[in-house]
This record gives sequence, C-alpha cells and structure tokens, in this order.
Amino acid sequence: MNRLQVRKVSVTYRKKTGLKPVSLEATGGEIVGLIGADGAGKSSLMHAIAGAKSFDGEIKFDNHIYSSPKEAEKVKGSIGLMPQGLGLILYEQLSVNEHLDFFADIRGIRQDSAFKTYRERLLHMAGLSDFTERQAGKLSGGMMQKLALICTLLHRPKLLLLDEPTTGVDPLSRMELWDILNDIIAKEKTLCIVSTAYMAEATKMDRVFLFEDGEIIDKGKAGELIEKVRPFSYEAAPEPFEKSITIHGYTYSLKPLKLKPKEPTLDAVFFINFIKKYGPIPEISIVHKDRDEDVPATIMEAKGLTKRFGEFVANDHIDMELNRGEILGLLGANGAGKTTFIKMLLGLLPIDDGELFLLGERIKSSDDRQILKAKIGYVSQHFALYKGMSVRENLRYFANMHHIESERISGLIREYANTLGFYRYLDVLPTDLPMGINQRFSVAAAIMHEPVVLFLDEPTSGVDVVARAVFWEMLQRLKDEWNIAILITTHYMSEAEFCDRVVLLRDGKKITDDTVKNLYQIHPDAHNFEDIFLDYYNSN
Amino acid sequence: MRIGVIKAYFKKELLDIYRSKLILMVYIMPSMLLILFGYGIKTEVTHTRTLIIDNDQSKASYDLVSTFEHSKYFNSEVKNLSENRALDLIKQDKKDLIIIIPEEFEKHLLKGLKTSVGVYIDGSFPSRAKTTENYVNGIIYDTIMKRSVSKAESKALITINARNLFNQSLRDEDMIVPGVISLVLLIAPAVLSALLIVKEKENGTIFNFYSSSVKKSEFLAAKLLPVLLLHGINIFILFLWAIYLFELPFRGSFLLYTFSSLIYIIISLSVGLLVSIITSSQIVAYVLTLIITIIPGFLYSGMLMPISSMEEESVIVAHIYPVMYYTHILYDVFLVGDGLSASKNVLYLIILVGYAAILLTVGSLLLKKRIA
Ligand SMILES: Nc1ncnc2c1ncn2[C@@H]1O[C@H](COP(=O)(O)OP(=O)(O)OP(=O)(O)O)[C@@H](O)[C@H]1O
Ligand SMILES: [Mg+2]
Repeated sequence: MNRLQVRKVSVTYRKKTGLKPVSLEATGGEIVGLIGADGAGKSSLMHAIAGAKSFDGEIKFDNHIYSSPKEAEKVKGSIGLMPQGLGLILYEQLSVNEHLDFFADIRGIRQDSAFKTYRERLLHMAGLSDFTERQAGKLSGGMMQKLALICTLLHRPKLLLLDEPTTGVDPLSRMELWDILNDIIAKEKTLCIVSTAYMAEATKMDRVFLFEDGEIIDKGKAGELIEKVRPFSYEAAPEPFEKSITIHGYTYSLKPLKLKPKEPTLDAVFFINFIKKYGPIPEISIVHKDRDEDVPATIMEAKGLTKRFGEFVANDHIDMELNRGEILGLLGANGAGKTTFIKMLLGLLPIDDGELFLLGERIKSSDDRQILKAKIGYVSQHFALYKGMSVRENLRYFANMHHIESERISGLIREYANTLGFYRYLDVLPTDLPMGINQRFSVAAAIMHEPVVLFLDEPTSGVDVVARAVFWEMLQRLKDEWNIAILITTHYMSEAEFCDRVVLLRDGKKITDDTVKNLYQIHPDAHNFEDIFLDYYNSN
Repeated sequence: MRIGVIKAYFKKELLDIYRSKLILMVYIMPSMLLILFGYGIKTEVTHTRTLIIDNDQSKASYDLVSTFEHSKYFNSEVKNLSENRALDLIKQDKKDLIIIIPEEFEKHLLKGLKTSVGVYIDGSFPSRAKTTENYVNGIIYDTIMKRSVSKAESKALITINARNLFNQSLRDEDMIVPGVISLVLLIAPAVLSALLIVKEKENGTIFNFYSSSVKKSEFLAAKLLPVLLLHGINIFILFLWAIYLFELPFRGSFLLYTFSSLIYIIISLSVGLLVSIITSSQIVAYVLTLIITIIPGFLYSGMLMPISSMEEESVIVAHIYPVMYYTHILYDVFLVGDGLSASKNVLYLIILVGYAAILLTVGSLLLKKRIA
C-alpha cells in the first residue's frame, strides 16, 4: 500500500517561512487536494515531499522514512512531481517526442510495446498526437502544460504531486485530465496530491486540505468545508454591508444579515476566511487619470487576420472589433489561436494576411506601431518579468521603458503597489513570489503608462479565488474610470460572464462573437458559461 | 552512473546547444578572439625599435639611414657598436631590429659589385618578423633603385642577409598567440558550462533533476561532457589558426598540447560549474564568469606583461591562477619543444591536473540536488 505520512514538516526559505509544521496522512488510490491562497505553502509542501527542498520534520512513503532531500533519493523513482508554472519542466528546443524520450530515459523506462501503447494513450489524451514533432517552445501555453503533465505520468509514479496542473488548461482538457487521473488511480492505486485554483475541481477530490499562511487550517471533503460556510453565504446585497464581501452574486458576512441565504460553493470558503483575517476586501482604487476624449470609438479592428506557421494555420481569417470602454473575452481551447491573435495585434508576430486597424490607423509596418506603443498595455501569458530584478526594479524598468518622468516613478510604484496590494513584496524577486502576486504587478507594469487599450493573455491563470475577484474588480474600475478597452483571454468560464462580449475561437477560426446575455438566450439549457463553451466545442 | 541517463541528458544538451544557436558562440567566439588579438599584434609593426650600424659613413649609407629615420615603421637609432653588442640588445628586448651596413657599401654600389647588408630581426613572433623583413627589404631596394636603373639591377647588386633571432629565455612569455589561446580556453568553456546549468535553474527545468532519481554525478557528467567535447574541438581549431594564419612554429609534442589543453578545459568548465552554483540567472552567470575568467586570463597569460617582468606580489598571484602554468606549456609546445623532458613542464602539468581535480571536486560537492 502506498502510504504517505507527513509528520510535522516545515519549510523555511532564506528569509521567510514557507510552511509551518504540518502533518497529514494519505493512502494510495486517493486524490488529495491542496487549496489555499497564493503563497499559502502548498508548493512548499509538495517540494518537501518530492525531496526537492530541504525541510524539518519527517516524511514516510512506501516504508521509507526521510527527512532530507538526500534521504528522499530512494523514493524519487516512484514519485512524479509537476511543479507550478506553465510547462515549467519543458525544454523549449525539444520536440514533443524528444521530451517523451528524454523523460523515459532519465527515468530508466524500458521502451517496450506496453510502454509505447501507454505513451500513445497519454499523447492522445493531451491532444498532442498530431504535434509530436513540434518543439515545446512553439506549443500554446495549455499544450505545454499538458505535455508537462504527461511527462510526469510517463514513469507511472506511485505518488503524484501535481502543483496546479490545470492552470491554463481549457475546460475540455481539464475534464479529460481528470478522467485520466481517475483512471490511473483506479488501475495503479496511485496516491495523487493535487493543488488547484479551480474550486470546481476540488469537489472531485476525496479530501482537501485548506492552507493559509503556511498552515493547514481545515480539512475534509469539499462538501464538509462548504457546509461550514453555509451560514455566511447570502444572495448578493444591493447595498454593501459593513464587514462583508459582495461579489459574483453572493454576499459573504460573518454577522447574520437579513438577506436570503444562497447555496455556497468552495469559493465561499476563501472569502469567509479572508473576512476572518483581514475584514472586507479593501476598496480598490485606480490611480486617477483624465479621460482622453479624442480616442476613437473603435480601438481595434481586425479584418481577416491570418497567421500561418508553415502549413499550419493558427489564425484563419479572423474578424474582430474592440471598442472603447469594453471588456472583450477571447475564449477557446488550448491551441485555438488566442495568443497568436494577440501577438499579431501587438506586432510580436508578423501578419500573414488581412488588415489591422488600431486606434483608427491602418497598421502596415512597425513604424505605424511605434507611435501607438504608448497607448497599448500588454501582459503576456508567461508574465515577461525579469527574474533577476526585484519587483520594484522591474516596475522601474518598465516605467523607464515607457518614458515616464523619473521623478514620478517612485510615487507611481508606491501607488500601484498599494492599490493592487503587493506593497510588501516590492523588494522580493519575482521567482520567490506566488503567481497571483506576479500577476498583479505584471498588470501594474502594463498600465503604469496609462494606455487606452489593454491586452491580457490569461492573467488569472493559477491565481487564487480572492485575488482573481480583486483582479476583476480592478479591471472593472479601469474600464469605468479610464474608459479603457480590454481584450482578455481566460480558461475560467465563470470569468467570461464578467465580459461585455465574448469571442470564441476554435482551431484558428472564429466560431462565435456575441454578448454574454445573447449567448445565454441562444443556449437556454446552459447552467453556466462552461456549458455554453462545451456546446460549441462538442458540436461539429 | 547509468549510461542511459547520461546519454539522454547529453543528447538533449547537444540538441539544445545546436537549436538555440549557442553553438555559434562555442565556435565563433574563440576563433574571433584569437584572430582579433592576433591580428591586432600582427599588423602593428610600426615603431620597430631599430638600431642601424653604419660602417660605411658614405652618401649612399646616409641615404639609406635617413629613409629608415623618416619611415613611421621604424624608430631608428644610429650607433657604432660591435655586432655582438648589438645582438645582445635584441636578446635583452631593447631592440627589435638591427641593420648593419658594411664598409665600402657605396664603393661597391658604384662599381657595380655585389654587397650585402646584414639584418637581424627579433623572431619571437614569426609573422611579425616576416612583415618587418619585408619592409626592410622594400626600403633597401627602393633606396638603391634611385641610384641605379632597374629593380632587377638593384636586386642583383645587393643581397640582404636577414636572420631571425630568437631568444626563448627572454621572450617566451611575450608571445601573443599562445597567450590568447590560454585566455580563450579559460573563458569559453566556463561560460558554456555555467550557462548550461543556470539555464535549467532559470527556466525551472532543474526540477527534472531535483525530483527524479538522476544522480548528481550523472547530471554533472551530462552537463560537463558536452562542454569538454565541443571545446575539445576548439583545441584543434585554435591550433590550426596559430600554425597557418599566424605562422607559429610548433616544436613540441602534439599529444602534450592536446592533453594539457583538455585538462585546462576541465579547469575552465569547473569554474563555470562553481559560478552556476551561486547564481540563478543566465545573465548574471554570464557576466560573473566573464569577470572572473577574463581578468586573471589577461593578467597572467603573459599577454599584457611577461611574468618575468612582474612585481613580486604579482608573480605570487600569477602562481595562484592556473593560467600561467598552461601558458607556459603552450609556449613550450609551440616555441621550445622541450616537452616533458623539462621538469618544469612536468611540474606544471601536474599542477594543472591538480587544479582540475580540486575544482571539479569542490564544484561537485557544492552542487546541491535541491532548491536553494
Ligand atoms: N512559432 C510557432 N511555430 C509553429 N506553431 C506555432 C508557433 N506558435 C504557435 N504555434 C501553434 O499555433 C497554435 C495556436 O497557438 P496559441 O498559442 O495561439 O494558442 P492559444 O489559443 O493561446 O492556446 P492556450 O490556451 O493553450 O494558451 C498552436 O497549435 C501552436 O502550437
Ligand atoms: Mg495562449
């Protein structure tokens, strides 16, 4: 029996504590979920169990006891760790096939026919069968993530440690991924420890551990956790109450309110915990900016934009419009062409066909873009931050790049850090920060020069529930106060509902373009946006 | 160590180096540096320190002397010394060129008799000596031509007795090409090995090592062998440049050259390994490696200053860095050829092996298979 016992394990980094002593037990065949805010200690625990980080305390797995990475060597052969980050463990220059060969070899797997069958199955599940010769650097974000996952599964580990494996993975593939996991667990009695930012996934797990500030503050079945917050969940109040959070159609409050109770989801756990600790979400304010009235109503117009990579058509004659003061959601499965489209808008990829207008100007050359640079903000799917520089230095760098007057920079950085809540991380390196924090300051870097349009490529992937809510709140503010236009991609279908309009891509083609309200009317059976998405994807 | 694991990593490394175009750096940077520095010296034959001994003191000899004095290629001085005293000046590195105009130089010319001018050139740097010789020939023939009719005629009249002088005991450290080779082979492998490891740290792929049962020794072998292999080829490329482009002699054993160079590359890549342990971003690793290799490389490869003319402290410091030992062996194989029959060479080779062993061991011990 693959039995894991974690006894009083704690993890410290040079300056701070990553994990206070925690203990837990789990057995093969189980899916154990780790949930909690960004930086709560989930990754630290996984790294300790995987023997990738030194720790205090003791871990026992498979009848081996270890208390250091060195002692963990003997179990590493039967552990699979997929660390957090988009395709983190992949080598950009290696193709899909070369990855599988590499991982098979370093894991000492005999490449017999049984293995080949398994390998084919994994490839198929990841939707990569047709892309085996493509280099990892040329895969879409979600495809990379799926490749990383199958590389981790390749040696059939007895203990699987998956750190936010579904980050950046589309709804369809997420379902397939869970099917695969369940399948493997049933067949091989694997013990699977998964952290996730999708609370809907947590409900599929046997048990979840709720982390906060390096401690496990609660555990049980997802239903049990939800049960505990039931008394605090209400239908959204029209007016804000003191010490409550009203968000996404709910009002959460510790004090009883005279409101209609509403069936909570796991999200509620996070909001309630947040209130307990910090009180209501602090009012988000956006640095003031005068509205530019001379901005044209149509910020971006694409006519038949096309991108080919060799024979492969990544964007196939896409028409799209983005208007001032509008949040446009760009949705689609992994590899549908969202990032490619945004990159063409930004001039990061040359346009093969079609016409592009930005702020009323036809864009033909990079000179045409030069003038517009000051008006565009962009956050890439891989957060292009400089890893060797602290958050403050990064922001300073971006501010300089956008020619912000140097005497204003320090003040601006302080203001954004305060409003977006990363003030205490200003002097930390991005690599030492949870994704959610990096995301916030990436956005700060993108809006410091006060653009009129913002392109956001999966800014909320891997970000915790509360931070995501705050983030959307911030986008709304930007839209309301700056009248900015936002094009955003996401794999959280619930976030589609916050968009004014949604464009759906499939295999490089636009398949729908409508307001959220209209889409619900067209799909009367849909309970949520995920159903609508699946409707489009499952129909031929 | 499992061969399969090393092979997998090794293959991945080579693919990565090739596809990420790092291969260009591996093969262009060393040759470029060598040619750059080498040519910097080769074409710089202006201000050759020249001593002219005029034993004739005639109109014709004055003409010749003044042409030398007016040429920017020569800093000439006319003195009456004995030939032997003059040659000592070359040995003491005070003069680069000595021209001896024989007695009755003019007379012979007028009578159409043959005469011969003696030319001694410091031959420590052959291509430079060659260039100097050509200049000297040109000037002498030109001057004579003005008096007689044709070039053929003047050629028939004068023989120039040019001889290269080479004094190993004084000028061996002064040689540029071996110096550059030792500089380049210190920098390039260190940079490559540092990058190969830090790249994985920066990208996060290092987790594949941390969380699998790949052993430290396997990982190290897989990271360092490609560097040794790729730069091992540079040993031969640099050799070819030295011999064919810079026309260095090669008097020693090729085996000694290859072996000591391989050891030296191991020292260099161990330096890169040490850098990779304390850094986690590629750019920092790159700059740090350059700093800690270029400075001692420049100072102690004898390129700036021969070790023999250093201050006492510098001499001691020079003995701390491995550069000096390798450079010495290079001078030997190119210029002297004593090889292992000279006990100094044997000692230096042993010291190099010791360095390689120590640095590699320290590096492997300090490399940790876990997140810092
Ligand atoms: N440089 C490239 N060379 C070849 N193919 C590429 C290149 N860049 C992207 N592609 C391919 O284009 C397709 C679309 O990729 P894109 O990154 O736009 O997808 P996406 O919709 O952003 O997906 P995700 O949700 O996973 O981020 C993918 O099949 C991808 O492999
Ligand atoms: Mg993308």
